[in-house]
Amino acid sequence: MRRKKVCFVGYGSTEYSRNSEASALSYYADAIRAALKQTGLNKKEIRGFSITTQASPDYSPHVAEQLGLEVDWVLNGDYGGAGGVMSVRRAADAIECGHIDLAVLVGGNSFDRSTPTQRQLEYQRGNFVDVFGYGGPNSLMALIQRLHMEQYGTTLEQIGKIAIAQRFNAINNPQALFRKAMTMQDYLNSRMISDPVRLFDCVMPCSGAECVLLASEEKAKQITDKPVYLVTDAEISHYQVANMLPDKTTFGQKVVGERIFKEIKHEDIDLLEIYDDYPIAVMIQIEDLGFCKKGDGGKFVDAHDLTYQGDFPVNTGGGELSVGQAGLAGGYLHIVEALRQLRGEADGHQVKKAERALVTGIGWLNYGRNLGTTAALVMERGK
Amino acid sequence: MAEARVPQKSLPKINKVDQAFWEGAANGKFLLQKCKSCAKIQFFPRVACVDCFGELDWIESKGTGKVHTFTLVRVPRNPAFKDETPIYYINVILDEGVIVESRLVGDTKEKVKMGDRVKAVFQETHDPKIKLPCFELA
Repeated sequence: MRRKKVCFVGYGSTEYSRNSEASALSYYADAIRAALKQTGLNKKEIRGFSITTQASPDYSPHVAEQLGLEVDWVLNGDYGGAGGVMSVRRAADAIECGHIDLAVLVGGNSFDRSTPTQRQLEYQRGNFVDVFGYGGPNSLMALIQRLHMEQYGTTLEQIGKIAIAQRFNAINNPQALFRKAMTMQDYLNSRMISDPVRLFDCVMPCSGAECVLLASEEKAKQITDKPVYLVTDAEISHYQVANMLPDKTTFGQKVVGERIFKEIKHEDIDLLEIYDDYPIAVMIQIEDLGFCKKGDGGKFVDAHDLTYQGDFPVNTGGGELSVGQAGLAGGYLHIVEALRQLRGEADGHQVKKAERALVTGIGWLNYGRNLGTTAALVMERGK
Repeated sequence: MAEARVPQKSLPKINKVDQAFWEGAANGKFLLQKCKSCAKIQFFPRVACVDCFGELDWIESKGTGKVHTFTLVRVPRNPAFKDETPIYYINVILDEGVIVESRLVGDTKEKVKMGDRVKAVFQETHDPKIKLPCFELA
């Protein structure tokens, strides 16, 4: 489906920290403050609020209360790493329906130990995965990466090229926790975590928050001369759920891609912000979204320059792999980076032609298959 | 301040949905669910058929299958497993046609390759009522 009159009008980011114990709520507030400062908006104009986090246990209306937001629309965007894209979709629906004309959507995390975090509700993980001493998401993605390497001949060097290109993109991004260039030897020699997944395949957990402001076109015109339009968006949860022998190397992004590219051509995308909890997840999404055939991701990566200066710019600020993963802010980081690019505000890592961006989100690794939630959106710079 | 606790190896918190499975495992049986309407076989235990929403029966698996994919866990999520690393964490395709997540155990596990035949073994835990369905190379 093509969106008509919904715009991103601003964004806010906090610093990322590996050891801050500031409260998650204060991170959300800092991100919102940054967005209000950028747009000159008064907080009272915000009539819609969404929170995506595991770092505070309250329901979304309670978080809104803590932040002093009186709202006509409130959402707990509990879709894991797809929380950013999927919350944008919900907010865009509400704006198109006329329920609200401005929403602030927040994702964040902190290591504050003084408040409890949300409980994991996935009982099958506790009873049928944890008990075997598994290694968390690292080992679940390792199962997928090994299959991709065995089935398609994908090499570690091809997977590593993604991590290395993203690190190059992060060097001039002040928000990134990792800004030292990475070589192929660095990648290959990094400590084994869960074969074949290495340390440099993994994200660094950290504290931080991101937020985006979404508005009706009419409201957008009052707020900014740099509106970015939401063009089209799609999602699917639990692709292949009824298949007891699922294809673990194909994500729901296959279905999402079919829907997205009914509305727009692949060659019209100038840059991609692809959810990167692991480089192999980036490669698989490139395939699923139809930029190349299933299994050709390795060859595709070999044939293209993925840096912000290249012919196929991916994760132009370094992605979660180099910036850090502030919990479920991870799904928002990609939206905010796309907005920086399309508004021409990505100092030091700006893509030259940045008119249209594709942003993806994927959420939690599930039992026996791959991803629970998968989603993507396309945004376009206002003319 | 939270009190320092010695980490415990995780055990299933058995509930009404999967109770029959764990009772089976304690008796050396690997149980799967089979739909009363469409005969689809499924795992892990759920309250309805994932295909047609039909009601479910339990059937006994032969407990044999092949290694679909595997990883050697060096950093377990629960530090209590640290002394057992690397843990050979596997996906098995049972001969009944379902993927099962489990652990490869036994003296020959270092030789594992994709596609190797495996059979279920039931490992004792620190709870005498609970056994874990693991696999060995056949």
